[in-house]
Amino acid sequence: MSKTLLKNGRIISPSDKLDMVGHILFENSVISSVEKDLPPEDKIDQVIDCSGCLIMPGAIDMRVQSADPGAEHLESLSELLAAAGNAGISQIVSLPATTPVIDSAVMIDSLRLRASSTHGALLHLYGAMTQSLNNQQMAELGMMAKAGAIGFANGVVSVQDSLLMRRIMIYSKMLDKPVIHHCSDAYLDKDTDMNESETATRLGLLGSPAIAETIMLERDLNLASITGCRYHAAHISTASSVEALRRAKKAGLSVTADTSPAYFLLNDKATADYNTAFKLNPPLRSEEDRLAIIDAIKDGTIDSITSDHHPIEMDKKMLPFGQATAGASGIETLLPLAFSLYHTNDIPLTRIVTALSTAPASILSLETPKLASGETANISIINLSSSSVIRGTNFLSQSQITPFEHYLVDSRVVGCFVHGISVML
Amino acid sequence: MTRDTKIANDTPPPAAMLSNKHLLGIQGMPIPEINALLERAHFFADRPKALFADVLANITVLNMFFENSTRTRVSFELAAKRLGASVLNISVNSSSVKKGETLIDTATTLNAMRPDILVARHHASGAPLLLSQHVDAAVINAGDGRHEHPTQALLDALTIKRSLGKIAGLKIAICGDIDNSRVARSNLYLLSALGADVRFVSPATLVSPYFSEMGVPVYTDMEQGISGCDIIMMLRLQTERMEGRETPSQHEYFHFFGLDTRKLQKAAPNAFIMHPGPMNRGVEIDSKIADDNSKSLIRTQVELGVATRMACLEAIAGASTRVRI
Repeated sequence: MSKTLLKNGRIISPSDKLDMVGHILFENSVISSVEKDLPPEDKIDQVIDCSGCLIMPGAIDMRVQSADPGAEHLESLSELLAAAGNAGISQIVSLPATTPVIDSAVMIDSLRLRASSTHGALLHLYGAMTQSLNNQQMAELGMMAKAGAIGFANGVVSVQDSLLMRRIMIYSKMLDKPVIHHCSDAYLDKDTDMNESETATRLGLLGSPAIAETIMLERDLNLASITGCRYHAAHISTASSVEALRRAKKAGLSVTADTSPAYFLLNDKATADYNTAFKLNPPLRSEEDRLAIIDAIKDGTIDSITSDHHPIEMDKKMLPFGQATAGASGIETLLPLAFSLYHTNDIPLTRIVTALSTAPASILSLETPKLASGETANISIINLSSSSVIRGTNFLSQSQITPFEHYLVDSRVVGCFVHGISVML
Repeated sequence: MTRDTKIANDTPPPAAMLSNKHLLGIQGMPIPEINALLERAHFFADRPKALFADVLANITVLNMFFENSTRTRVSFELAAKRLGASVLNISVNSSSVKKGETLIDTATTLNAMRPDILVARHHASGAPLLLSQHVDAAVINAGDGRHEHPTQALLDALTIKRSLGKIAGLKIAICGDIDNSRVARSNLYLLSALGADVRFVSPATLVSPYFSEMGVPVYTDMEQGISGCDIIMMLRLQTERMEGRETPSQHEYFHFFGLDTRKLQKAAPNAFIMHPGPMNRGVEIDSKIADDNSKSLIRTQVELGVATRMACLEAIAGASTRVRI
């Protein structure tokens, strides 16, 4: 038996309606008590002083692209899970855009098996919506669900064919799994490099209009309305999309959404010197969009915050902006950047904790994250007043390209437990 | 009063009398007429086939199959011949239709030759109705698109009745590609009219939500859907009417919706299996089950198809004669 005591932290657990300074004691993988009063410290193997720190249910990152299989040299699955754990994330959900694509039960089985013997964050998987992400034929969603896929996604390939999307939604509803979709109109988005804007015009780069995202989202919301499918809009980046989501939620649709730090902390002016670390998909948007995203996180229109982690080889970034691949590392900066909303935008801690734990769990029907006696000891600990500067070279992962290079954050992950085992290195 | 008719072997039932000149669908057909057809078909089935060779003497039957068919066409042809009718088969592939003639023009041309009965199969829903509006002959629908296949439903009902002694109160699961199936629709109308408890089992992408609105119980879990059922009626994936992307793959389809020994265990202990054919072995049904004559009624269905169509042709010929006088 191993007993650990987390002492004097600010414990926030939305599903327990808990926000208090107190102590958490857990034995092996199970929480034995969450109390205001300090339990006797004898017979406890490990005591961690959490003064000034936030103790929250283990963070869940529901949008991560693993490079493995296919580009293990960039970041292997075990490196990814270790990096996530070290960054305070207890569970990740990986997208299917690997090589080969995760579009079969065999792929789900093999990755789950590999992850089960790895130290770090827990791995969940989305199955591909279409075979080989070809956007033509539905993948074997039923077989993948049976093998443990927790939802269906299509990477950054947006399903253009509305009939195919309708069928995928009907089929997913039958399987009671959510559909996680990247929204982009392929025609409006074709060959574009960044957000359509004055900056794009000055740089001579081809711009993708914000509505390229919103048009596809609106279509999906209409389809969700007639199919009754649980629909999740991935990495939402525009004000008009936020409006569409707000209307859909008001109408009672089973619709959720996430966004990523780049869309609430940066805008398209960041690309002004052609720095390809800022080339993302969806692209960085206008300042108005950024502010709308913050409001949407605040009022819950956007349910969850994800890292949108997407390792890209250096060769694919050391290119003219138009030729560079979109994407960046994100898993190791997710928590400090998310909590900057507390420091700079006055978003309550409970709301941020929800967006990082209970919201993704509920969207994906994962076990509800709780901090209470008898619950699984999945716990993240964050020091909310410890400034540092983000440097890609400090990342555990080999994937070190970040749009937040040199960015100052005020919080730091100081602990993470998965099933009661510390996954901080 | 039970809605099941008694099948009496002692006194021969009379030829069925239909109120409608054409036999275009089961929907809207009065129950007594359905029962009269079933009784007469049952009677035909048990008698030597040479006994009725003059019933339709002087009647000309034209088989017009605008869609490929073996069993239905042969079944109608045999039925007509056993009743002594003259039968002509028009193969659409080599007819003027191939040369671009419209359905109505073809119908008008043939009508000029004064056939008595047109047996029509067409890939377009509603085509037999259109035909019936442009010919003097009586039209029997031998399957139109996704709409109806009335003689199939009648022969299925006869098969069930002869095998289980009744239809009312039976739990019947129709499984597979419901959306594209005329057999599912005709059987739904007929078997529920006769008091059976009919449910559909299908992937959600192959069964319109409007069936639920019509009051049909729809199951997307096959084991739940066939649980306790007396009859499991399997349908073929109608690839010719499918867009091709309704389900992920044949592999997954068979895994979740193919009838195999394991799933069959959920059905009633003495459940019978039916299939309108042609079967896709390994897609919707495991060969082991299809070929197990203690469980499968598939061959009986084909056999009773002839007697059923005899009853239909006889009734329609009577009706068309009456109309002409």
